[in-house]
Amino acid sequence: MKNQDLVEYLRSCGVCEICQLRYLKARGAEYRNINETLQKLDVKLNENVENEELVISDGIQPSKRARLGVCSTCLGLFSKDFQNELLNSILASDFAKYDCQKIVLAICLPMSLQLRQLAMWFALQRRFGASIDENNPPDVPIKEAVKLILHPIICEKLAKGYDANGLMINIDLTHSLEDEEVEKLVKLNKEAFPAKASHQKRIEISRGLLEKQYQPSKVKAETYEKYFQIPCSNVEESIKLTSIDLQGPLICVAGRYRKLSRELSHTPWILNGQRLMEDSIEEIIIRHVGPHFTEKLGKITFMSSGREDVDVRCLGKGRPFVLEIPNARRTCLTKDEAFAMERAVDASGMVSIHHLQVVPREELTHIKTGEEQKKKFYRALCALHEPVSVKILEQLQISASFNIQQKTPIRVLHRRPLHTRPRTIYSVNARVHRENPKALIIDIVTQAGTYIKELVHGEFGRTTPSLSSIIGKPMDIQALDVVGIDLDWPHEVDNSKQKE
Amino acid sequence: MSVQADDPLEPFYFEHEEQEICGKLVPPITESFQEDYPTVVDRFFTRYYYFKGDVPYQVLYHSNRICLICLAPEHPALAEGISSVNFDIGNVDRSQNVVKGKGKKGGMILQAESTLALLTTANGATYKVPSCIRGKLVEVNTAIVEEPKLLEQLPEGAGYFAILLPKIENCDAIKASLLTQEQYEERLKTKNEGLPQIESTEDRTQNKNKEVLA
Repeated sequence: MKNQDLVEYLRSCGVCEICQLRYLKARGAEYRNINETLQKLDVKLNENVENEELVISDGIQPSKRARLGVCSTCLGLFSKDFQNELLNSILASDFAKYDCQKIVLAICLPMSLQLRQLAMWFALQRRFGASIDENNPPDVPIKEAVKLILHPIICEKLAKGYDANGLMINIDLTHSLEDEEVEKLVKLNKEAFPAKASHQKRIEISRGLLEKQYQPSKVKAETYEKYFQIPCSNVEESIKLTSIDLQGPLICVAGRYRKLSRELSHTPWILNGQRLMEDSIEEIIIRHVGPHFTEKLGKITFMSSGREDVDVRCLGKGRPFVLEIPNARRTCLTKDEAFAMERAVDASGMVSIHHLQVVPREELTHIKTGEEQKKKFYRALCALHEPVSVKILEQLQISASFNIQQKTPIRVLHRRPLHTRPRTIYSVNARVHRENPKALIIDIVTQAGTYIKELVHGEFGRTTPSLSSIIGKPMDIQALDVVGIDLDWPHEVDNSKQKE
Repeated sequence: MSVQADDPLEPFYFEHEEQEICGKLVPPITESFQEDYPTVVDRFFTRYYYFKGDVPYQVLYHSNRICLICLAPEHPALAEGISSVNFDIGNVDRSQNVVKGKGKKGGMILQAESTLALLTTANGATYKVPSCIRGKLVEVNTAIVEEPKLLEQLPEGAGYFAILLPKIENCDAIKASLLTQEQYEERLKTKNEGLPQIESTEDRTQNKNKEVLA
């Protein structure tokens, strides 16, 4: 089969030039300059194309009509007119509200296109016989061609780059013949793929099904022809745009937070439908960071590398956190903007954030995985019933790591399973308050997931050993601070310092 | 100088490191110290009591409805000296209780009067420790089986026999069925006033014998 013969046949069926190139299996940039590519694909074609042009100008009506009309295989999807319509519709949408440099098109095509591909496949088989494979489509499938042809054009016209994680432009297309053709397809499907047993659930018709099952190797041309024409019929109307919906990218904003208040919960604390605390770390951060990226603050997800109890402060470098912001209007955060947010959160007087930055989504694995391997650093204020002795202080200088067995604390046992978990305590270092010999300040390094309060007092013997059991005396915990979390993520950024 | 050198605690004194957060200096953790800080039991539990005959038991009711079943401080066995604790109560061994998942599936369902454990004292008396409340058995304290003597010295709560989880809808009825701290003290008072000391002991012994026979 010569390219020349193929193109001539396609033309006679009313196939547009772009689609002719698809059937010539053109790639990427080859769609840019149609004539050049046609020439390149077959030198002989060159003259013939010109001849063809002449023939047309001489007035061979059927061919000319086909060329000017709507392409029978792409239904005008690749026509200049449609490109303009699409572009104008995108510009007329909320597109301008999104400050994104990267876009991606998600086009929902009418099923008619896949049916037409199959019709043309059968037609080519009849015309060119065995040179047409029955398992692999003879063309560059429309879905792929959209990426090769429409995508670069739209990106260029909108002056945006392509990124699968960029602003998603969801485009719904339909064609006036679609409903009618789908109805026929339902009948065809029953005949071509009868249910094997009456009880077997019939497979729903879908684009995926068409792609997988509707091939000459699986459907007979004769069966197909009972419902559809081979080659596909010419159409009057072009494909139509039904809707454009914009979906901004998922933006991840990371930083570290510190918590100064002993009366602030991590997330909204609701008991029996009533709020126990007016505010939470999550809400304060989202309130000040969210509006830059989206209007819908409720859709933002707040995550952190662990969490502390309401009455625990988080000091030192703070705890890594990340906000997942879906459908974001903006993808960037300047240092100035980030610094303004940091100061606004500081003004709460309860929480402070710093190192605020936009991070790639892949980096979220740092916060999500290996939680058990992380080390956590705490400072506990503990109370003895009697003044501390040197012996007790020495017993609480532990530099070699040891293991404890910790049962699920009673305070969470009503909503969590009962387990006995082994936890590693890396070090313990106790000091005493100069003015109060009953007050110990104990620095503890533990494996993440250790319940510190229970580690101190032993919780009725449910955590063993405990610091209390180690010294053999009752000891309670009165206050706790998180002073470090050994996760070096996100990287440090000083937003207060502007770089030139 | 010499005073410091003589102070054996000198190497162990805490020094606060200054840090600024939200534009203010972080108060040292030592500022949170309270001389009269309530105990763990006082912070999170309410004390309730249950009488089996004349023998008192204590239910520590956590704010999240989890209950710890303990001997009341006035339980006669504590004075007599405890020689053994056994969760194998004959037809069933409570220590074989296994719970799975958040819902504590598989936990034994206990009634207030169900026997939780058997307790024997130095003078050979046996007490059937009741469950005190209706609920699901979550955990038994096997440490007191190995060292029953601990019960006499452990701080409040640590000598718990078992942890029970009542159904939310039963909680009000359960609390109403138990004696509050005030009611309990009242009952102890009237009992002590009503009977001379010696008779009271006899009375207790009789009750105990009844229990052993039961």
